[in-house]
Amino acid sequence: MGRFAKTLELKGIPTVGAAAETMVNYGIDYDFKYTNGMPIRYVAFPFPVAGQPPEVHKRYVEGEDRLSHKPMMTAIVDALTKPLTENEKFKGVPPEAQPEPRLLPPDAADNLQQLFKERDWTDYNPIILPTEARVQAMLKGTSHAPEEVVATINWPGGERPLTVEKAAIAAVMAGARPEFMPLVLAVASRVPFGNSTSSMANMIVVNGPIRKELGMNSGTNAMGPHNEANAVIGRVFTLLSKTVGNLHSGKTTFSTLGSNLQYNNLTIAENEELLPEGWLPLHVQMGFKPEDSVVTIGIGWTYISSVGEVQIGYPPQNLMRDYMHALSSSGSAATIVMDPTVAKLLKDVHGFNKKEDLSAWLSGNVEKTVASYWGNGVVSTVNSAMALQGLEPLATWLKAPPETLIKPFSNPKGIQILTVGGNIQTTWFVTDFRLGRGVKVDDWR
Amino acid sequence: MRGITVNRKFLLSGVTTLLSVLGLTGGMAAVYAEELVTVMNPIVESKMAERLPLSPRLDSLSGKTLYLVDINWGGPQAAWSVYEQMEAWMAVHMPDVKVVRKRLAASYMVDDPAMWAEIAEKGDAAIIGIAG
Repeated sequence: MGRFAKTLELKGIPTVGAAAETMVNYGIDYDFKYTNGMPIRYVAFPFPVAGQPPEVHKRYVEGEDRLSHKPMMTAIVDALTKPLTENEKFKGVPPEAQPEPRLLPPDAADNLQQLFKERDWTDYNPIILPTEARVQAMLKGTSHAPEEVVATINWPGGERPLTVEKAAIAAVMAGARPEFMPLVLAVASRVPFGNSTSSMANMIVVNGPIRKELGMNSGTNAMGPHNEANAVIGRVFTLLSKTVGNLHSGKTTFSTLGSNLQYNNLTIAENEELLPEGWLPLHVQMGFKPEDSVVTIGIGWTYISSVGEVQIGYPPQNLMRDYMHALSSSGSAATIVMDPTVAKLLKDVHGFNKKEDLSAWLSGNVEKTVASYWGNGVVSTVNSAMALQGLEPLATWLKAPPETLIKPFSNPKGIQILTVGGNIQTTWFVTDFRLGRGVKVDDWR
Repeated sequence: MRGITVNRKFLLSGVTTLLSVLGLTGGMAAVYAEELVTVMNPIVESKMAERLPLSPRLDSLSGKTLYLVDINWGGPQAAWSVYEQMEAWMAVHMPDVKVVRKRLAASYMVDDPAMWAEIAEKGDAAIIGIAG
């Protein structure tokens, strides 16, 4: 929003930024310093704004600006009419950022562990201290030069180069081995983790030979704390998001509940070996070769378990449909994670000869009321304006009576299927994770 | 004292031990005893944005056109409803200000150049929000 206010200001239109009191400090501090560069004048409303009746909004307008503590409308008028201060007239190149030293001052190991926690550089579990020797050893896992920039992270602002060396430092901290580096670097190219007041999380899906090379688990307990590579790769993503990604609670990330999934980011190796014939691994569906090693990062919020075994009287696809009814359907996205036994049943008994058949069936059969659809704040935030502009089918959905049933997963390509698990129970999870474009791990060897 | 040699190292070790037993050196004793470790810095400095000035303010809003721009955060009835109340308040207290309520074409994540062009052409001031 600050950037929109800046656009108007550059056109000569005095503009006030309006934010909830929970977010306004981000606008006037970090966003101003590292993203916007313009000292936008803000007013702060009480929180929450969404979900409140008109009479509460009337009180907000007639009440106090939570930033200046003036009456709200006085604060707005003042922001548009009071002359600029010298600081607000300043134009120029900002001071050079104080460079971070390459090495930290020497200290006792316990003190360093404490320092890393105090600076919020960890997930608050003990780390392996990144000595030069350990980082040098880690760098042997890739042919890429330490100073090579994997990605420049400009969210939220700051243009921070994430180099191979910084990725190796995080890899050491997380407990990785040098052979993990190609996958670490591929994952690093997608840092940082999901950042939203809605409390997002990520999913990391690994395909191809790298799974076996690193001893990843795609079988029994694959999604639990039982495998070194699964645990460490997910942890690296989190540590990099906090270090080079600069995501720190209350400063640059404001997830209201947070997500416990961010400890491991749902790091999964797909059980490609037990896919039914005709069911392709995720990366092959995307156009990669089977022998390519690929990692795909997803973003979402939720997963719901089937809990128990498939029942003959109620096919698994029906229960998946029922549980998907509870997902937001934001972006028409879902990822179904199923034990290989479920995939086999779906193909052999229920005739889904390929993953895309199941995706199409779910797209055509998951229903919810328009009231439920628009009742989700993220869906309303992202889609309501387009509905009001007349974009279909959103426009029709917005005008329909509340109990009208719609099929919100309108794009079957948004529904992905993964097989993970140990052939022990016919269990599956439906999730609302939207998977991105795969990254080739082999490019980072 | 003549004839008595004091072994300094033994004396220092003994004093340190005594002080440790008495709890008087605490962490200091531990630090001196423990090897110091040098580690690599995991973070990178953030580059600050180029500074730009605000545009000059208006002398007053009287007779001006004020745009209230809803960024659609929180859905169609969040900021829009606040702006309805704001417009009603201004109709009573600042009736010579023309108020125009608008929504962004998409979500707050998507730029809307047509909106900015309209405001630049027809407006004198704007409120944009409500984030959070």
